Amino acid sequence: MKTRTVRRISQVFFFSLFLFFVFVTDLRYLKGYPVSLFLELDPLVSFATAITTHTVYMGLLWSLLLVIPTLLFGRIFCNWICPYGILHHFIGWLMGKRRAEERERIEANRYKKLYSLKYVILIGMIVAAVCGSLQIGWLDPICLFHRSMTAAILPMLNLFFPSSVYVRQYFHAGAWVIGFLLVFLVGMNVMIPRFFCRVLCPLGAFLGTLSTVALWRIDRDPHKCVDCDLCLKSCEGASDPHTQLRKSECFVCFNCIEDCPEDAISFKFMPALQREITAPVVPGRRAFLGTLLGLTFFAFGRASGASDRNYNKKVIRPPGSVEEKDFLERCIKCDQCIRTCPTNVLQPALMESGLEGIWTPILNMKLGYCEVNCTLCGQVCPTGAIQRITIEEKTGLGPFAAEGPIRLGTAFFDHGRCLPWSMETPCVVCEEVCPVSPKAIYSREVTITKRDGNPITLRRPYVDPALCIGCGICEHECPVTDEAAIRVTAVGETRSRDRRLLMDGGVTSAPRSLENKQR
Amino acid sequence: MKSEPDGIKAGKSGDAAEGGISRREFLVRAGATGALLAGAAAGGYALWQPKHFVPGFQPEKGLQLPSYALAPNKLLPSLAIAHGTEHDKTIRAVIGALGGMERFVKKGDVVMIKPNVAFDTPPALAATTHPETLRAVAKLVLEAGASRVFIADNPINSPAGCFLKSGLRQVADDLNVDLLYPESGSFAPLQLDGEVLRNWTFFHEPFKKATKVIGVAPCKDHNLCHASMTMKNWYGLLGGRRSQFHQYIHSIVSDFALMMKPTLVVLDGMNVLMKNGPTGGRLSDVKQMGTVVAGTDMVAVDSYGYTHLMERDLAELTYVHKAQARGLGNTNWKDLVYKEVQA
Amino acid sequence: MAAPAAAKSPTGNRKTFRRTKVSAAERVVSLISVVLLVVIGVAIWFKGKHYDPDRFALNTDALKSTAAAVEGKSGTARGADASPGETKAAAKTQADGEGEATVEPAEGAAAAPAPAAKGEPLEIKLDGLKPMSDTEFYNADNLFEKIDGRAPAYLNFNFQQLRCRSFSIIGTSGSFVDVYEYRFDTPVNAFGMFSLERDPKGGPLAFAPDGYASGMGFFFRQGPRYVQVTASDQNAKTLALAKAIAEDRAKNLPANNTGLDARRRLPVTGLDPASVQFVQENAQGQAFLKNVFQANYDFAGKKLPFFLMVATPADAAAAWKSYQDFASQFGGKVTALPDVSGAKIFAAQNFGTWKVIYQRDGEIGGVFDTDDGDKAREFVEKYLEGQIK
Repeated sequence: MKTRTVRRISQVFFFSLFLFFVFVTDLRYLKGYPVSLFLELDPLVSFATAITTHTVYMGLLWSLLLVIPTLLFGRIFCNWICPYGILHHFIGWLMGKRRAEERERIEANRYKKLYSLKYVILIGMIVAAVCGSLQIGWLDPICLFHRSMTAAILPMLNLFFPSSVYVRQYFHAGAWVIGFLLVFLVGMNVMIPRFFCRVLCPLGAFLGTLSTVALWRIDRDPHKCVDCDLCLKSCEGASDPHTQLRKSECFVCFNCIEDCPEDAISFKFMPALQREITAPVVPGRRAFLGTLLGLTFFAFGRASGASDRNYNKKVIRPPGSVEEKDFLERCIKCDQCIRTCPTNVLQPALMESGLEGIWTPILNMKLGYCEVNCTLCGQVCPTGAIQRITIEEKTGLGPFAAEGPIRLGTAFFDHGRCLPWSMETPCVVCEEVCPVSPKAIYSREVTITKRDGNPITLRRPYVDPALCIGCGICEHECPVTDEAAIRVTAVGETRSRDRRLLMDGGVTSAPRSLENKQR
Repeated sequence: MKSEPDGIKAGKSGDAAEGGISRREFLVRAGATGALLAGAAAGGYALWQPKHFVPGFQPEKGLQLPSYALAPNKLLPSLAIAHGTEHDKTIRAVIGALGGMERFVKKGDVVMIKPNVAFDTPPALAATTHPETLRAVAKLVLEAGASRVFIADNPINSPAGCFLKSGLRQVADDLNVDLLYPESGSFAPLQLDGEVLRNWTFFHEPFKKATKVIGVAPCKDHNLCHASMTMKNWYGLLGGRRSQFHQYIHSIVSDFALMMKPTLVVLDGMNVLMKNGPTGGRLSDVKQMGTVVAGTDMVAVDSYGYTHLMERDLAELTYVHKAQARGLGNTNWKDLVYKEVQA
Repeated sequence: MAAPAAAKSPTGNRKTFRRTKVSAAERVVSLISVVLLVVIGVAIWFKGKHYDPDRFALNTDALKSTAAAVEGKSGTARGADASPGETKAAAKTQADGEGEATVEPAEGAAAAPAPAAKGEPLEIKLDGLKPMSDTEFYNADNLFEKIDGRAPAYLNFNFQQLRCRSFSIIGTSGSFVDVYEYRFDTPVNAFGMFSLERDPKGGPLAFAPDGYASGMGFFFRQGPRYVQVTASDQNAKTLALAKAIAEDRAKNLPANNTGLDARRRLPVTGLDPASVQFVQENAQGQAFLKNVFQANYDFAGKKLPFFLMVATPADAAAAWKSYQDFASQFGGKVTALPDVSGAKIFAAQNFGTWKVIYQRDGEIGGVFDTDDGDKAREFVEKYLEGQIK
């Protein structure tokens, strides 16, 4: 069996696996499938988070399984495993110059200086990571593909084929940007084959850097070669196999081996150094610009203050999230949490948590609420931006009864919009659906005289901030649907010391025992 | 041309597989790859975090302050009261009555003086430690032979404004002592076995080298806890969102007596903010009581201050009673060995 | 070398080249790769089947920590209310006592709160009252949760069950009345606890002979119950309703004075009712004095403490003898007095205080701890003769 055939089998296998994982990331089907496996295998994710957090979180250790083959064989990931690469390869084949002239195809696959841009992007991202801001998620292919599927493609499928993906249609803020970005990047294959992979992909740049020490590579036998350039006809990586092979660009797709009429190309162990360009070619000035880009992105983004005291009250993070500064060091914007959330409450942020927080998950109670006995978001988060907490830890039960539950925020009443408070109308749906016991919303009965002169006995609701866990079901169920009369805001969240509302609850459980002593 | 049979010796292609590579080159290249492989694996395992944690609920460890108090002395007074008209003379008198600053500060000591600089108001409004009081205390400390003096506080208003407008910055400049601002890196987590205060961020920088601590507090009315004197003064050492303290203010102020065991506290009653505290704002709120109290027991000093300087019923002042109940001091200041002098 | 018989020119119409020479090494590597893919697929399918159900649904063992009821109380209510802090205190002892989510409620402390919540709700049908919450029940195992440091004393008197409920007063802003009914095993023990907490300055209650009004509360013993009715403030309306509630309880709770015979025997003349006390054991430091009733009497201008114990005649005689022996130790002066009305009497002076102790059939008692021995003797003799009733 030819190696290229195996490569094709592998492409079908991994692409299908990726689609399978994406589809199965749903409470109904999830079971034990490792749906974030591609993200955990992604070496750039583990490398960059190791820089920002000085740890390798749980499943990210799997990325060694890809690092090791890359150090030996080069960028096999890009053409054998990467689902985004496979997508581009397929679309490029489908819509590209398949029927075009041989000569055009050969010219399209020569190396261009533009292809050094991905290294500049990688440098920028690594520099930002060193500063403490993780921004690889913008362009890392696995993160980008997961995010595009979650926010744009699957909802689109569900719109055209209702209930094929979700029980009820899901919506995501800014889905159009994410969707059009995907369309643009995939569409660019028409202009330049494997545009994203060659020009923009930071993971490709990282693997290309690792490929510098690869022991095997594509090698051209100069004695057999007749300089026909046919090896370029289907070259995916634009690695110039017709001359000195650029190791950092070669996708190990084996197309050149199949296309060479002279059988001059083979995959060799440690071929001569003078027939290759070992390291990526990045002009010094461009590298410097990349560094500058990373530094300024971090500095200007952080100095805008969105993650400090001027935090936006709407930045309510999923349960199990780490503190905000740590969150920005871990979140890769893969939106897996958004995909798996059973109520559609998780949304990709726009500017709510600043420049660094774009496309990170926040809760929007108009669309959903945080279901109490659910920790799915933490189960699928590959980097620990949302820790893999258990339901007992989240709800403060069993061994965690002393610590109490995780709070996402606190609910506050807007009396002017509340039916019993200002509109002489009975309601208290909020109290009814409040899931904690004793309820965080309690009501007091009051009898008033209505406008028409008749008395009415109403129950008027109050929030007990010591009990509220910020789940938002009250806001979600409030009949004032355009802007609810009870709204959850981020203050009082237990993940952050600075954003506590009350001194009791959470870490300082001392006041509880103080109360007991005082009685 | 691209293919170059020349430049490569015939028969020797330079490829490892065909035996054309030198052993040295082979070892170098294989070694580099092997090293990177091993390094990646080792690095991954070293940094590996196999277990999750629950954010916001991790046990916190913090620093614990040592005691700066002297050994108890049954012969010398533990509390002194001095009456006078001038700050300097009265301070000298009250310290002298306690046995002189030499009793507290030895040659070579590094002394941290903690004034109350919470607000950016002028000294005449008595909402902050009076500059003349601080000057007198600092001078005495320097005369006793201290090698270094720190003055520090974490104000409620902006630090630069507070130190300037309260006149304390001028004192620090005149006496050439170190004024420490509460900068971001100056804080560290504190651990305390308090009633309510257990883990909080603390203004640690001035205490890193300090061997003696002196609190110099004004005597002020306080809208929530009735009075801010030498016990409440230590509030200014805490950082973070202190506004949460108001939910348990009396317990927390009594926790301060556990947190800080100073060498000496001085309660400045020369000008007392009798009402509308702790910020004040009118000269008519201030009364000249012409008294300074100093001592080693902040509970006793505060008890004297509340009854004699603010002229109120001590039963109201919950935090001193809490502190006494916890064994952190004595509200019956008369039980102490005390001395009252005229400056 | 398989070179097609085509032109050497790189361009021009030409059949697409197809490589046919595949080396053995290539075949092996390809096969291994395909096998690897299959293995990966199987591994993922396997991983999908095996998962921890606790990832998706709450492990119901964890619910044990919620077994202690917290009835309708807000978390921000400070003071006497049960708050989540209480639940957590109970939960922690449960969790600690039971270890990790194992079910055995063998240690009574852990599972008790659930069985305690049994009994008739406390209903009071009076105008102007509205229950603020459900009735709460506490038994010996969890009484401390409600009354904290007072609990040990109650347990000493064989406390059985507390039934309590708060009632708000309609038409006021926040006035309420708390009703606490402590049930003991015997009326005697109820009386013991009642008298222990008795306020000496309390005023008498018309509807409860063993009762008093003090401050904002009404306290009395009825049958085996010690009832406390406390008002939240001193408004006339609140106090009036509190009194009405106390009367209602006195009317509706069963009366029973079993075992309080000794109580009945205490003479009334000169009795200070607020001083009546029941001492379960070790009265006056004597092991043989158990279930003793004592009270202060005003006799000819002198305050005399008088006690009385009811037992079998043999026990009473033995106690009397023991007391006499005890008094003669430590240099005490003991005088045997002539019998009066069938009772044996001795007088003793120890360390300056006098006691005059009598024993008649199944009753032993006397005046103790007074400095006037003559008056003491006179009182005892008059009592024995029936002149002091």
